Amino acid sequence: DGVAVLPAPQNLSVQSTNMKHLLTWSPVIVPGEIIYYFVEYQGEYESLYMSHIWIPSSWCSPTEGPACDITDDITATVPYNLRVRATLGSQTSAWSTLQHPFNRNSTILTPPVMEVTKDGFHLVIKLEDLGPQFEFLVAYWRREPDAKEHVKVVRSRGIPVHLETMEPGAAYCVKVRTFVKAIGRHSPFSQAECVKVQGEALPL
Amino acid sequence: QEFRFGPCRVQGVALQELREAFWTVKDTVQAKDNITSVRLLRKEVLQDVSDAESCYLIRALLKFYLNTVFKNYLDEAADVRIRRSFSTLANNFFVIASKLQPSEDEMFSISESARRRFLLFQRAFKQLDIQAAQTKAFGEVDILLTWMEKFYEF
Repeated sequence: DGVAVLPAPQNLSVQSTNMKHLLTWSPVIVPGEIIYYFVEYQGEYESLYMSHIWIPSSWCSPTEGPACDITDDITATVPYNLRVRATLGSQTSAWSTLQHPFNRNSTILTPPVMEVTKDGFHLVIKLEDLGPQFEFLVAYWRREPDAKEHVKVVRSRGIPVHLETMEPGAAYCVKVRTFVKAIGRHSPFSQAECVKVQGEALPL
Repeated sequence: QEFRFGPCRVQGVALQELREAFWTVKDTVQAKDNITSVRLLRKEVLQDVSDAESCYLIRALLKFYLNTVFKNYLDEAADVRIRRSFSTLANNFFVIASKLQPSEDEMFSISESARRRFLLFQRAFKQLDIQAAQTKAFGEVDILLTWMEKFYEF
């Protein structure tokens, strides 16, 4: 093991949004030199039963940092310990460990981006691809007094989905939120988007 | 996506991810198992398990894996791929086991039947040298996952 002369990375923190988890830290500065960082993790099981076992991060062993996408390393909904150290040639810093273990159930879920369109008389929605862990709960209704709200769960990603065949002259509105099965949580609903079908309402 | 072991429901675990984690290391892990004449998770342990029994059996099996098989399976020299797969499996087994609450007022015969099945597995495990047994049991995780899939709602 190299002698620990380099300062250890400081200010470790995790930013997690829509199940994408980014570990960041303050860079170690040595003028004129490139510092490489090694990131390691351990899940709750390892920390309880085999705390000496750490696992190199999939994408950051090493990395020029000072950030690391740890999404592929966090594969269970349990607290994870994370640590980083700096290296410069044979010089190695001490490990810095994230102060509070990270659990993916704390991820921030944002209202999804949607695109509501008309294909003739068909109300169609296209949703952003957030990955296999996401389902979309789509609510849509005809804009009229006492309108009945319809709900459709959409699991397909990034492809247009037909919601409703609309009547001429009527307006229809749509809003959507995500559901993440792995953590059992919803995002807030998006803003409602409305579209109107041209033409006169047909006489009854 | 949830497990339904009779009355026991477990959400938040993607079975496909566990399969992929084991698949990554299957050949390496199973190649270390030299005792090919013995199978721990044999037919008498897993075949024709009723829904009512399933929660008792899976809880006993997962606890055994967590407390006996996984606990000393890794050492610091372990290959990184094995460590990653091991971590995914161990932590998700940990999540499943922590959510299993078999009912207390089930008929004694049900829990007893599940216990007998588990004892078949445990006895076979104990007849081997501990390291060989851990290696074999870890190599049989695909058998366990295949059985668990019967109780999984996609």
